[in-house]
Amino acid sequence: MLHGYAASLLDGAWLTFQVAVLSLVLALTLGLAGASAKLSKLRLLRAPAVAYTTIVRGIPDLVMMLLVFYGGQMLINIATDALEWDYVDVNPFVAGVATLGFIFGAYFTETFRGAFLAVPAGQLEAGAAYGMSRWQIFSRILFPQMLRHALPGLGNNWQVMQKSTALVSIIGLSDITWLADQAGRSTHQPFLFYAVVCAFYLAMTALSSVVFNHLERRYSVGVRRSAA
Amino acid sequence: MTQLTVEDLHKRYGDHEVLKGVSLSAEAGDVITIIGSSGSGKSTFLRCINFLEQPDAGRIHVAGEEIRLVRGGDGHLKVADAKQLQRLRTRLAMVFQHFNLWAHMTVIENVMEAPVHVLGLSKAEARERAEAYLDKVGIAKFRDAYPAHMSGGQQQRVAIARALAMEPAVLLFDEPTSALDPELVGEVLKVMRALAEEGRTMVVVTHEMGFAREVSSQVVFLHQGLAEEVGAPAAVFDQPRSERLRQFLSGSLK
Repeated sequence: MLHGYAASLLDGAWLTFQVAVLSLVLALTLGLAGASAKLSKLRLLRAPAVAYTTIVRGIPDLVMMLLVFYGGQMLINIATDALEWDYVDVNPFVAGVATLGFIFGAYFTETFRGAFLAVPAGQLEAGAAYGMSRWQIFSRILFPQMLRHALPGLGNNWQVMQKSTALVSIIGLSDITWLADQAGRSTHQPFLFYAVVCAFYLAMTALSSVVFNHLERRYSVGVRRSAA
Repeated sequence: MTQLTVEDLHKRYGDHEVLKGVSLSAEAGDVITIIGSSGSGKSTFLRCINFLEQPDAGRIHVAGEEIRLVRGGDGHLKVADAKQLQRLRTRLAMVFQHFNLWAHMTVIENVMEAPVHVLGLSKAEARERAEAYLDKVGIAKFRDAYPAHMSGGQQQRVAIARALAMEPAVLLFDEPTSALDPELVGEVLKVMRALAEEGRTMVVVTHEMGFAREVSSQVVFLHQGLAEEVGAPAAVFDQPRSERLRQFLSGSLK
């Protein structure tokens, strides 16, 4: 089966999965921080957040990946030279996760921003009027309702993000796409191996859809639905 | 016992002075209604009492305790102690024009939320309280429904139960029937009337002149940011002294 490449592909799949999940965590963090900054009263916080989403969403993911990997190495070299430290290698795994998280953090920023704004201000006011602290208003009223508005957008972005993990193959990570490419070349059966990659991504995205549908149902309680 | 005093409250938005020094004092059991045309500052006045809006000057006592204020660097009045404000807000439960129920919580969760998470009641105590007040406003059978599935009148009655569950010193009503379909106004007014008869202290901003006349102990007519006339309902409605109040009443009673 798979000319002895099955175990290696499985390793690649595991790596791809790790990249996907870690960059999701980073993107969610950056997205929440970015949305909070964009909605802040302070210009000092708003301006960099606007620059972040504008620039990052305007550059192709592939170019960004190369920019961070090679450009990042260059910057680190300059820095280590100046500080007279030893040479530091950019770890492609870290670079890949950082780049994907950074790119999708910009999309998540917009998703979260819209979702925060969709929660009626009167409900937050009611929280204040009943003596809740700012943290209680955020955690008990704003956040759970914001999630309902954010989940469809997050699900969509996450789907795109999972597929973008294939980009890490160009910066030297042995992810499933890179391994399939190698296997395809040496066995002269590229179609077979790319088909395996397709099946893997389809399985991962399908599973995600199931999870997101479940979450959307859970966070839509109290919403009037048209007769389904 | 005096439950609420407001002294010389001022509020401006830019160059427009909405409140030009309004005072009010509510003894236990008083029902004070605030009437006036739109733009007279009556909702702003109510919202300044619990600091949903920041007044620019004035003093407020809730159940004998003054809300401590300081002048900020920008010259605006600010609450000195956020914890004190939170605590005093629990003594002033508000009912909003648009209900503002928490949409992701069921009816009973809405009523239990602040008693559990702000007052620190146990869930069991809060549930018992919530059930009693939901029963009182006639909405007990909807306890597990979500607000979006209820009529405006039902939602507003839940909002009243939510306010009662705080067992506050004063209930603040901000135009509680203005967002309701005409046929639903009656059920909310009926609940409010019952609360007044029980001797609860209430400050009510309203356009319902019938309610103001029959239920209040004192009526305040706000006009252009000033309490133009204050008095017992019989005096205010039957012998208005100012021309503006006469005009307002002839317009609203039509």
